[in-house]
Amino acid sequence: MTTMNRTQPITLLVCALGGEGGGVLTEWLVDTARHAGYAAQSTSIPGVAQRTGATTYYIEVFPVPLTELGGRRPVFSLSPVPGALDAIVSSELLETTRQIGNGMSAPQRTLVITSSGRTLTTVERMRPGDGRTDAQRLLDVVKAFSREHHVFDMGTVAREAGTVVSAVMLGAIAGSGLFPFPREAYEQVVRGGDTSAPEKLSKMAAASLRGFSKAFDIVGTPRAQAALVTRLLSSQGDEAPVQPTLSAEVARAFPPPVHDMLALGHARLVDYQDETYAALYLERLQQVLAAERASDSAGAHGFAVTREMARWLALWMAFDDIVRVAELKSRASRAQRVRNEVKAADDDIVKVYDHFKPGAPEFAALLPASLAHRVTAWDRRRKTPFALPLKVGSHSVAGMASLRVLASLRWLRKRGSRFAEEQALIERWLAAVVQGTRADWRLGHEIALCGRLIKGYGSTNEHGKRNLLHVIDHLAVAPLPDGSPAARSAAIAAAREAALADEAGTALDATLVRHGAPPRPVIAQPIRWMKRPPAATP
Amino acid sequence: MEVSFSKEIEALRLGAGDTFHGEGILAITKGLLQSGVAYVGGYQGAPVSHLLDVMVQAKPYMDELGVHVEACSNEASAAAMLGASIHYPLRGAVTWKSIVGTNVAADALSNLSSPGVKGGVLIVVGEDYGEGASVIQERTHAYALKSGMCLLDPRPDLGVMVNMVEHGFRLSEHSNMPCMMELRIRTCHVRGSFECKNNLAPAISTRALMEEPAGFDYMRLAHPPVTFRHEKLKGDERLPAARRYIAENRLNELIPGTHADLGIVVQGGLYNALVRSLQQLGLADAFGATDIPLLVLNVAYPLVPEQVADFCVGKRAVLVVEEGQPEYIEQEIATLLRRRDIQTPLHGCDMLPAAGEYGVEVLATGLAQFAQRYLPQHAQDSAQGWLVGNRERRAAVATQLEAPLPARPPSFCIGCPERPVFAALKLAQQDSGPVHIAADIGCHAFGTFEPFSMGHSILGYGMSLASRAGVSPMMQRRALSIMGDGGFWHNGLLTGVQSALFNGDDAVLLIFKNGYTSATGTQDIISTPDDEMKAHAVDKQQSLVDKNQTIESTLKGLGVQWLRTVHTYHVDKMRKTLNNAFTSDFNGLKVIIAEGECQLERQRRIKPWIASLLKKGKRVVRVKYGVDEDVCNGDHACIRLSGCPTLTIKDNPDPLKVDPVAVVIDGCVGCGLCGENAHAATLCPSFYRAEVVQNPKWHERLLHSLRGAVVRALQPA
Repeated sequence: MTTMNRTQPITLLVCALGGEGGGVLTEWLVDTARHAGYAAQSTSIPGVAQRTGATTYYIEVFPVPLTELGGRRPVFSLSPVPGALDAIVSSELLETTRQIGNGMSAPQRTLVITSSGRTLTTVERMRPGDGRTDAQRLLDVVKAFSREHHVFDMGTVAREAGTVVSAVMLGAIAGSGLFPFPREAYEQVVRGGDTSAPEKLSKMAAASLRGFSKAFDIVGTPRAQAALVTRLLSSQGDEAPVQPTLSAEVARAFPPPVHDMLALGHARLVDYQDETYAALYLERLQQVLAAERASDSAGAHGFAVTREMARWLALWMAFDDIVRVAELKSRASRAQRVRNEVKAADDDIVKVYDHFKPGAPEFAALLPASLAHRVTAWDRRRKTPFALPLKVGSHSVAGMASLRVLASLRWLRKRGSRFAEEQALIERWLAAVVQGTRADWRLGHEIALCGRLIKGYGSTNEHGKRNLLHVIDHLAVAPLPDGSPAARSAAIAAAREAALADEAGTALDATLVRHGAPPRPVIAQPIRWMKRPPAATP
Repeated sequence: MEVSFSKEIEALRLGAGDTFHGEGILAITKGLLQSGVAYVGGYQGAPVSHLLDVMVQAKPYMDELGVHVEACSNEASAAAMLGASIHYPLRGAVTWKSIVGTNVAADALSNLSSPGVKGGVLIVVGEDYGEGASVIQERTHAYALKSGMCLLDPRPDLGVMVNMVEHGFRLSEHSNMPCMMELRIRTCHVRGSFECKNNLAPAISTRALMEEPAGFDYMRLAHPPVTFRHEKLKGDERLPAARRYIAENRLNELIPGTHADLGIVVQGGLYNALVRSLQQLGLADAFGATDIPLLVLNVAYPLVPEQVADFCVGKRAVLVVEEGQPEYIEQEIATLLRRRDIQTPLHGCDMLPAAGEYGVEVLATGLAQFAQRYLPQHAQDSAQGWLVGNRERRAAVATQLEAPLPARPPSFCIGCPERPVFAALKLAQQDSGPVHIAADIGCHAFGTFEPFSMGHSILGYGMSLASRAGVSPMMQRRALSIMGDGGFWHNGLLTGVQSALFNGDDAVLLIFKNGYTSATGTQDIISTPDDEMKAHAVDKQQSLVDKNQTIESTLKGLGVQWLRTVHTYHVDKMRKTLNNAFTSDFNGLKVIIAEGECQLERQRRIKPWIASLLKKGKRVVRVKYGVDEDVCNGDHACIRLSGCPTLTIKDNPDPLKVDPVAVVIDGCVGCGLCGENAHAATLCPSFYRAEVVQNPKWHERLLHSLRGAVVRALQPA
């Protein structure tokens, strides 16, 4: 056979998500090939993937112009052939990696152009902790299994150009020189045959062309790519918060590795309550430091226990309540943040309505114990617990005023029942950390890290505290089959991870049992009972 | 409808001398017109939806030609429509998704095939098998065999496909057998081109009507005693006639090869994949010139025994490349070779997997075995290197990733009206306890995925209510059936509602009234709000499905006594209504109508409207929801109640906190679910609703500036 008979088509796999215009992209490519005088074919499997699912498109182009084929027509494959792809272009990093994992990319042959952007899957988003896949790991796979790779944030490029990602992908493909088509051939198709000057083009076509040429340059000229990447990185960095500073004497009292976290924590509590409360924070932290010095005098672990406690103790002590929320939501900085988030133009009016639903516990929290007790008791007697669904317009005078009034109740917080409860629980945890650290550094460290379980408001917060206390009581203190500090540390670490795995706490209970501790007691919850009687016997 | 086909409709008008460029399924559509089809029907479903969608949108042109287009209520009615070709010389075509659609149509197909047809009949089925399929994996082939229909499986080349459409009608007329044409998913979506012919206006049409009905002819009825005669005719006359036509017109393609003592019999639809596999093994060139002779079956049933025998006789071995199970073709070939005492070794499922799509890699693996055995001299090093390389690479990536990557199934669109109902259902089950949920076909089937993971069974389109009939009598708590309005009209009304009422079942049915068959591309149904309604709506943003009461009146007319209508975005109300239905003393059928128009359709209406208002400088209010990053508690309970693509997570800006916070990204359509959930589930108070007023009125500005001054005075930094 002649060499041309052995010539293989140029093969391209496009990965996109539903609604990203992958269909348009393939149509553009096929039309470009046609106008450039080459045989081409595209296929896809959209199915129901147009509903935000992952979808792929596949294009083949025969590298010899039709005129030189003497009327013969190449036979194209309808599906991508693993290990026989010349390029993979993808708008989402995880999907790129998925296709590489399917064996699509061959390191000797395949050029991979992928967006660095992630569109998180539902499973990654719904985890109580952090369920996100490590992007670096995904990038490593791209690097390891591609002949050549270009990585840039296609989403940002598309946004900056005011177009959709499909135009950017087309530019990337054109810029890579994968196909034997001149740049003009692509642009012609994007213009939809409209040859008029850029300013005369339809808005959409013009935007598409902008996105096209940006991507073309990024992939076509590596320097431009590097420049863009650095620009993107810098633009991300600009929100870095200002680091608060510590007073000299506080700084003296704590080893340097703790300082940054300590400064943040201290500042948080001054902002949350007052100097005296912040002082209590320092005093509590001193206990931890003392314990850590005792078990690790050399500071071989960089005072990690104290450092972690500086973080988690501050967060717990600054527990969220309606006063705090009102404070945060009524700040000018917040109003500005909202304006930016909704991308409001200068002369647009922005109305902001905040969703609150305080229940009896939230109000009881601010009352002295005796009163609070009565309120909650009353609430329990009700068929459905009391809650006040509010939509507060923080852009309105009344709304802002009421927020400020609530925020001003800070003084009441300290006298409130919840404050007392929280302090008691904090002390229990603190004691466990201190004892743990004295017994064994790692044990203390693990208990300290459990501060991560305390989060948020209402049921979430209750839930977290229950889990934490249960872990402390049964894994840190109570006798275990293997009560060695090492075993306890391992058990606590496992339990902490499990507690963040799922809402119901199934994983946590399993872990507890596995380490010889009892599962968490079932919390009584009212259920509307409906029981159909079995068929009556005649 | 989701897509506008204006460009494609123009392509339908092309004539002799023009070249058609576009998708396979649209080429088929053009082929129907070139064959003088008189009537077209069907039911939407991937991958063949476009065939009908285009014809519906091309109504003016169809009227010009005199072609009748019917968007049928389900596949059974589409198949029954073909009855027109039993008596009359009318060419008819219908289309649907298979296997499911063919199952629904089965009864009519049997009753059509028995008397046979006079006018050519073509049933274009989307063979939804393999990668990207959304239904159970079965072959349509079985129906062709059992009912005696021809089965066309054209090579995925637009020219061949169109040619086979034209032949299909003639084949049907020669044999009196209805013809099916199976098109795999990628074949429907393949982009290519073919040389057009002129469209033929049918001789009898909506423009040229018949004056008299046919005379009475018992032979045309599917009714004893003539059914016994029909059964004989199938074997004695129809099959032989079909085989004659197939042979004489060379519908199957014989492709010679240098190794004449070997052969491969392949379904037309798999030809390209086979050729690529041969190329990978160095046994074919870029233009399909192959070393091993091929018999390409553009007609998968009936086979032409002589043709197959001639192909096989004297060869050292023949491989049958046939996708899916059972391997009907291979079995038939084995039988006919045995009967003729032809000793050629036959291979197929012994070298190729019995189940799943035949991709290039799968085929090449089987072919490599075949070649190894019968062409030992042929070097396979590079091919083997490629195959081994793939395996090793997959393993290597898996180890490098450690954990498998999270799946990304399709999900509810941004602002979908069905998502809130599953949020409410999740909450309701916290009140009334878990219930058995009979799920159904439609977008709402996405409720079976995270974050909801709800549904115990799916028994078919519109079958949910019927599918719990055996469950609910056996269970203390009530079972819930979920059904879309698409499924309701497709058959849920009869198989479910009517049956439940007749039997006095204690059942709960939730109907998603979004106004369209959305999953298949938002086609209109009888309960779709009409266009005048949409045109006259003052606020085009609101849902308009409440304007069409067909479902409600039908249910009332049928005698449903417990009927509640709830706007889907009212999560708390929906939760209460569900609890009510689960626990009410009323023991009959309880129907909840979840009312909320498909967001895709709403956006198709809203976007141009907003644009026009802004263009005119008119006042526009844009709603977006947001999360206060410093208030969000990083627990993501909100996401577990929503799963909206625009409600995602980002790094926690608070250096003290480690877990990511929720964030609402661009694309939010302000459907309101976030706020509703925040209240219904008492989520953390981090959600806010922002209303951006563009081009506000002067007094609005004034008020705002005054108010703003006071508010700013109250605000701390």
